[in-house]
Amino acid sequence: MSAPDFTRPDFTRQEMMAIATGREIRDGELAIFGVGLSMLAGYFAQAHHAPNVRAMTEGGVYGATPVGGLPWGIECNRLSVNATSFTSALDALGFLVASGRCDVGIIGAAQVDRFGNVNTTGIWDGEIGESYRPPKTRLPGAGGANDIACGAKRTVIMVTHEPKRFAEKVTYISSPGYLEGANARERYGFPGGGPAAIVTTLGILRPHVETKEFQLDSWFSFSSVEEIRANTGWDLKVAPDAHVVPEPTQAELAALRRVDQTGALRKKG
Amino acid sequence: MTHSKLIPLAEAVRRYTWDGMQYASGAALPIGSDAIVFGRELLRQGRRDLHAVFHCSSQQLNLLAGAGAATKAECGFSALEVFGFANGLRRAVESGAMALEDYSNLAMPLRYLGGALNWPFVPATTNIGSDIQHRSAFAPHDTPARTKIPTVTDPFSGREIGAYSVLQPDLAAIHVTLADIRGNSIMLGTEWSRFELSRAAKKVVIIADAIVDSGCIRQFPNLVRIPDIIVEAVVHWPYAAWPQSSPGMYDVDEEHMHLMNKALATREGTDRYVADFVEGYDDPDSYLDLIGRDRLATLAKTETAFLLDPYRQWILSPDQVAGLSARGVAA
Repeated sequence: MSAPDFTRPDFTRQEMMAIATGREIRDGELAIFGVGLSMLAGYFAQAHHAPNVRAMTEGGVYGATPVGGLPWGIECNRLSVNATSFTSALDALGFLVASGRCDVGIIGAAQVDRFGNVNTTGIWDGEIGESYRPPKTRLPGAGGANDIACGAKRTVIMVTHEPKRFAEKVTYISSPGYLEGANARERYGFPGGGPAAIVTTLGILRPHVETKEFQLDSWFSFSSVEEIRANTGWDLKVAPDAHVVPEPTQAELAALRRVDQTGALRKKG
Repeated sequence: MTHSKLIPLAEAVRRYTWDGMQYASGAALPIGSDAIVFGRELLRQGRRDLHAVFHCSSQQLNLLAGAGAATKAECGFSALEVFGFANGLRRAVESGAMALEDYSNLAMPLRYLGGALNWPFVPATTNIGSDIQHRSAFAPHDTPARTKIPTVTDPFSGREIGAYSVLQPDLAAIHVTLADIRGNSIMLGTEWSRFELSRAAKKVVIIADAIVDSGCIRQFPNLVRIPDIIVEAVVHWPYAAWPQSSPGMYDVDEEHMHLMNKALATREGTDRYVADFVEGYDDPDSYLDLIGRDRLATLAKTETAFLLDPYRQWILSPDQVAGLSARGVAA
């Protein structure tokens, strides 16, 4: 693997997605990041515009910044190397997230639907049906994302923009978005407000204020309304004020590439 | 006076496990601090029909499921993080050989907590409203599932919430960094749910990377989150979580993580993996030889090694540990 070239002016779709996600994080917030790309996006925010973000992992690593590139796991040695507190999952996901204290969480998705419901459990051939049956392709399960989706004040969902991932209705709700839409979440009294954005490799979707249906908010400079609609599995509405997302600044790219030392976001796309 | 609970790994598995039992482990980092060497020994002794209770599936359940030893499992997370989907577990779930009941990473510690307190259930304010509540692999025809996370009414607010069933596994095999010969244990890195699990399980066997003198325990009693009074037995096994990491002790073995997961993708690959890396050693020494002493030295040069510094002076040498084990058996 060659070292990333920090002088390259261009950027990958994955890098744009990570930077756009990171822009959703504000300084000083209590934040929780999942493993993989969401962690890079979160720590990019810390490295760039949110130095005082209070970041934690779902197993209870506090105060840490990854060393040596993308961590293999959310509590791996690349994060344990400079933590200020080690506690537990009950503490992080329970006391600080399900309680309603956490400001923002970043989660990933294998499949997401028009109301921001997330499937990370499995891919079935068609509907599951009346009786539960094993998926054709088993995925990782909910992990902490369900607890974050219920408890964090807002969430940001990061997902590669492909038709198969953007379904009218997910086959299995691993982590709730707005369920059937509108005020459906209120039935369950979740302290969290639901997904504020779906940030993809092509652009950003945000929920309609009343229906909670996700619509196109903005597209990346290399993408277009047409490309995004063609890659979305439902009839995606376009917000009246839809616009283009500013490209990464040199400072943003430099910060992201310091965090993504091993170039995980530069391997494809 | 100093009663040693140190026993060999094979003896611990013989004494505390049986076919069809509810076996809890893998409760620590999603891909680290996992008592996987205990799982390898379960396979060596041919244990079957296990009901696995794993907060995170880890490589241990990937192996047990891939080898056909587990027929039921309950997990919060069942993959290998950046190393990808767990191929052995996938094969078992997709073929129907293992029923996997899905929860979340908060649900599992809450269910341990309920078991530890001997509560009848634990209020669920997450997992409700999603298919984690509505679908049950253990009761597939019950849709929407009424027995998995049933709806109950909060008697104070009148609000509808869920009820988690509690967990009291027959045995928990828990990986720790350091333990004394009586089972007082120190974990470096996050606990995940090892604290709650150690109180929920009917019996606890500690798998320790290193054994320390009791002076260490008395120096840092605040850090001893698993005390000897709830521990049945202690197994000393260096690099017990390999190929996964143990903060302060060793890094993840990236090459073997991939090799193992690739092997577990097929029945034939699993058979070969079991022959090579489950049956391929007789004791800790030959296990370490099998991994390769050079590789171990590399893995031990972890950037987290400084975390272990305050404890190093109390770590006992293999000979010292062997002497204590013998005395424990004689007593």
